[in-house]
Amino acid sequence: MSRDLTRLYDLVAQCNRCGFCQTACPVFRATGHEIGVARGRLSLVRALIEQRLDWSEELNEPLFACLLCNACTAHCFPGVPTSDILVAARAAYLENVGRSRLAGLLLHHLLPYPDRMRKTVRAVALGQKGSRSSAVRALGLLRVFGRDFPRSAEIPGQLPDHSLREERSSWTLPGDGDGPPIGYFAGCGMDLLFPNTARTSLQGLTRQAGSVTVLNNVCCGLPAHAYGDPETARRLARKNLDVLESAGAELVVTDCSSCASFLKQYPGLFSPEEPEHSRAVAAASRVRDLVELLPAESGGADAGPVVVTYHQPCHASRGQNLPIPEELLETHAGYTYREMHESDWCCGGAGSYALFHYDLSMKVLERKMENIRKTGAGLVLTSCPACVMQLRHGARLYRVPVRVGHVAECLPVGS
Amino acid sequence: MRPGLVSRLAAVVGKDHVFSGEADTAVYAYDASLATSRPEAVVFPGDTAEVARVVRLATRLGVPILPRGFGTNLSGGTIPAHSGLIICLSRLNRILEIQPELGVAVVQPGVTNLELQDALSPHGFFYAPDPASQKVATLGGNVGENSGGPRCVKYGVTQNHVLGLEVVLPGGDVLRLGGSALDPPGYDLRGLLIGSEGTLGIVTEVTVRILPCPESVITLLAVYDRIPDAAGTVSEIMSRGIQPSALEMMDNPVMRAVEAGMPCGYPLDADAVLIIEVDGPVEGLDELAGRIRAICSRMGAREVRLASDAGERDRLWAGRRGALGAVARLAPNYLVADCTVPRSALPEALDRVAAIAAAHHLEHGNVFHAGDGNLHPLLFFDSRDVEQVRNVKSAGREIMEACVRLGGTISGEHGVGLEKIEAMRLVFSEESLDFQRRIKQAVDPENLLNPGKIFPKRKPSSKGVAPPAASRPFPQDLCPESAEEAVGMVREARACGQPLVPLGHGSPPDLPESGTVPIRSTRLDRVLEFSAANQTVRVQSGMRLARLQDFLADHGLWLPIRPLNGRSSTLGGLAAVNGCGPERPAYGAMQDRVLGLCFVCGRGSEIRAGGRVIKNVAGYDLCRLMVRSRGQLGFLTEVTLHLASRPQAGIGVTAQGPLPNVLRAAAAIRCSSRAPVSMTASPDAGGLFWTLHMVFEGLEKPIRAQASRCAADLASRGLEVASCPLEGPFHRFGRPEAGSLPPFRMRIDLPLNRLPPFLEQGIEPFAFRVQLLDLSCGRLAAWTPSLDPGRWVRIQEAARDLDGHAVLEEAPSGFRARNPPGLRGPAGIEALVDRLESRLDPAGIFAHSGNPFMEGRGGVRTHDQPGARP
Repeated sequence: MSRDLTRLYDLVAQCNRCGFCQTACPVFRATGHEIGVARGRLSLVRALIEQRLDWSEELNEPLFACLLCNACTAHCFPGVPTSDILVAARAAYLENVGRSRLAGLLLHHLLPYPDRMRKTVRAVALGQKGSRSSAVRALGLLRVFGRDFPRSAEIPGQLPDHSLREERSSWTLPGDGDGPPIGYFAGCGMDLLFPNTARTSLQGLTRQAGSVTVLNNVCCGLPAHAYGDPETARRLARKNLDVLESAGAELVVTDCSSCASFLKQYPGLFSPEEPEHSRAVAAASRVRDLVELLPAESGGADAGPVVVTYHQPCHASRGQNLPIPEELLETHAGYTYREMHESDWCCGGAGSYALFHYDLSMKVLERKMENIRKTGAGLVLTSCPACVMQLRHGARLYRVPVRVGHVAECLPVGS
Repeated sequence: MRPGLVSRLAAVVGKDHVFSGEADTAVYAYDASLATSRPEAVVFPGDTAEVARVVRLATRLGVPILPRGFGTNLSGGTIPAHSGLIICLSRLNRILEIQPELGVAVVQPGVTNLELQDALSPHGFFYAPDPASQKVATLGGNVGENSGGPRCVKYGVTQNHVLGLEVVLPGGDVLRLGGSALDPPGYDLRGLLIGSEGTLGIVTEVTVRILPCPESVITLLAVYDRIPDAAGTVSEIMSRGIQPSALEMMDNPVMRAVEAGMPCGYPLDADAVLIIEVDGPVEGLDELAGRIRAICSRMGAREVRLASDAGERDRLWAGRRGALGAVARLAPNYLVADCTVPRSALPEALDRVAAIAAAHHLEHGNVFHAGDGNLHPLLFFDSRDVEQVRNVKSAGREIMEACVRLGGTISGEHGVGLEKIEAMRLVFSEESLDFQRRIKQAVDPENLLNPGKIFPKRKPSSKGVAPPAASRPFPQDLCPESAEEAVGMVREARACGQPLVPLGHGSPPDLPESGTVPIRSTRLDRVLEFSAANQTVRVQSGMRLARLQDFLADHGLWLPIRPLNGRSSTLGGLAAVNGCGPERPAYGAMQDRVLGLCFVCGRGSEIRAGGRVIKNVAGYDLCRLMVRSRGQLGFLTEVTLHLASRPQAGIGVTAQGPLPNVLRAAAAIRCSSRAPVSMTASPDAGGLFWTLHMVFEGLEKPIRAQASRCAADLASRGLEVASCPLEGPFHRFGRPEAGSLPPFRMRIDLPLNRLPPFLEQGIEPFAFRVQLLDLSCGRLAAWTPSLDPGRWVRIQEAARDLDGHAVLEEAPSGFRARNPPGLRGPAGIEALVDRLESRLDPAGIFAHSGNPFMEGRGGVRTHDQPGARP
């Protein structure tokens, strides 16, 4: 059924096949295959709309193997929003060809329930593959295990013993800063995989605000959105809108750039007639990426001497137009900052990407790791937990002697 | 789908590198043009050997194939005409060598133009052709299309910068054509392949010339309220002897589209802008920019902006390069025409384009390489609207017709592909098309490589060349007064089976004993057409170079060719041997100056090649094939040449020292941006000390600075330096005469790094005298009073062992008759040459070994032909 896609026809027709997307597409640069680049994917969508092509499973790869990194659009003079078009095409694919059972499990039974998520992660951590293995695999869609889930035995070792919100779902920390109260949006990745980093973020935020409240939020909805399940994304967004509104915080801060970027996109999930739309507009205006709250000059503890470089997540650069916090990195005690070539080139993490497209993801990652290697950096910082996972995996796989950390490490901590 | 095709391909390249699914092939059904056609399968070979195996397999199965890079072709060249197998070269994406000291880089075809530029820039070098799509256009594609780009107004197109190719021919043979040693013996097959749109071979490796980056660049943006003023400025600048390194034009609709995409600094309230760039030494560049500003203002520019920093300059260029993509904001689709017209016809051409677009109710825009008259009118439409599609196609055709009427051609750089096939008849006669079709048949007898491109279907010929039965004796000397007369003579020769040898004023001594008859151009000595504004001249082939230069001097112009020996040569003769002097890197050789030519082929037809515009990719590059063909493919009757303004001033610098010091100094200068137009060395009488000669020519201020810096460089190396002003362009500075009437004159071409080892290994055993060492071309001109065949073979072998070649340019009577003209070349090349000659000249009227100018063809003839000696 291509009726659903026809509303995209004008957008798709804007692609006049100049091919400039090829220069920017991490997948194309890794494979050289036209089917892996915006021009190719758009031509298929156009063929579907014009009914020159029938829906089939063959379309799974071209529609789902896009990182949604948006680099093509940034290099596209007509500015064709390929990611948006593909997300819509994925939804149409699921309707016309069918969805995977695993995805359904994840999207409908895990993402909306942080508690179930925690339990499933625990099951993975303990290496249990019994009755819940399908849920465990489904959780892979979130990438919370890292991309090598099906292959690597190292994973359980990477999982922390306790998630950030293990004991309680929400609490408030007193702060000694002058700023307005902050609500901390706990992204799934930070909550489940990097609770210590999350605590560092929280500690840093208490120096800026009168109080910091850890919110009882659910998944931001990005995985569902990217998978082509707008309904689930909207459902999650509604839940989160309730949480954001009731928190009473003037600013909502998250230390996951992917969450931040998607929360800012909430208004787009609802049509202007829907009551949620204006609520989403109001909520989105209060959302900040932690990167936006980083001080210009670092007061953090001396962590050097080390050469440090910065990986700019897609959702920070193209998703939110945030610059690299260069000044901070340059002034941080002990750091020598070196800019990475193609710093905003996707690392290949991209949500569930690595799970379904492991080999491709690793090829994309290889280029990133080479660029990191060339800086000679001993530390690479970034602002998205998915990128941290991916880069850590890359450092092992491609033997790059670099530690991967979250930029929250630079925050000045309480005296 | 042919049964077994995919599995057999998979056996060659691995199953991950063959695509045949519906969606997989659907994305190879298009390129950046409007045409679409889906291939049966797509294969991604990983190296040359795999390409060759795939081609052999396809040949066995009778499957049409075509090469493709990243599919940004604008004429339908990279999609199948019917169906078949696409050989995608995206995996051949490595830069193999960058050798700044030799001025050479070696790349695989899947490397994009910009990737090469990025890799060169840390070395302080660049590759001159820079198509607007350089971010995504691959070098293999650049070769296939003979791509240009903004910079080619100063530096020339791909054809001028590719030294060598590795090619997989139809059938699967792998050949190396050309290389870093210049002018190998035989036809310029490299030149023929370039621009052949993937119909003659699949390029698997490219050796390119790279240049030191200019010291300084100034970018101007001239803003106009009226398009004709902008168009008029172009010809005004160019005809004043100013050589911009880019001269681009953009009109309002395109600027609006660009600015909507990303702000690049274009004025939205203007009708048109010119982007003008000059580069070179810092000294005098401001002045030059000032002269351009003055011209722009005088021609009606309301404002001339100077890009204040690299950022502003980059933004302007980003906008220019993204223009074709950006216009999608105006309409979903565009047709981009690619006509070239003489520069002086630009205002009129733009007028016609506007009128044609309006008559078809189409919005249009312009963004193009104004400096070389290469228009890119964009007609906007929506391919979902059938009537618009019809309109756009007929408007496109009318634009081509209009431009051809203005003296132009149908394609300057995008190629003919599928889109302009029928338009080929606008520029070529059926006979000229046939000549090209025969080349295709000779190279690709099964017609499996990118079939159905470039050439329209053959029209049944009404006037077949029926050779009259001849019984009367054939004349012993032919001297036609006109091209028509020459046609008649060649037809007569064909009827009689009489081999001919084209001659100018010379009289090779071997002719009588070889049974051949000379056909002389001496009576074809008129200027046919001259345009000072466009700096072009069309002359008959028998005109002497010196006479042409005298004629041009009155207009402040010249043909910048200073052959080492013989200013008395005819232009036809110079073309036949690719005449040039040591200024070749700066001014080019004849092959770089010939825009068009006309000749009578061995079948007795008059064939036209090229045209009179600077950029021309319509059909095969017959000019390249004919230049350097030494009369083996036909009798040249006229040549159209690209002229240049005479240099304002000249300075000669000499430096003396021992040979190793001279060689080292030359290598250092070559890698610098000092840019002498020539750099030669010659030995003193004793042979111990050598003198390095450098010529600087151009505008007085910059060359004065260059020469004095160069002199300082040389002095710091302990050489004894002197400099002197040069009088006019025809000085003999640094050109020692060969010994008086040397019986044997030869040239030896080597890659630049092989010149020192060649000299150091000791040339005494060869017993030749060095006339001149050309240190920017890697060429050694030598002479000797006597030469025995054994020694000649040893000289050739010594050159060949260093990846070069030796060519005998002059030899006394009888020497050639008794000795083969050169070492045997690779069998593949010999076979290809044989097939070409027997197709183009089946009776062997011109292609025969009785031709005393033959220098070997990468090999010698292997089959008997009329006139072949026992």
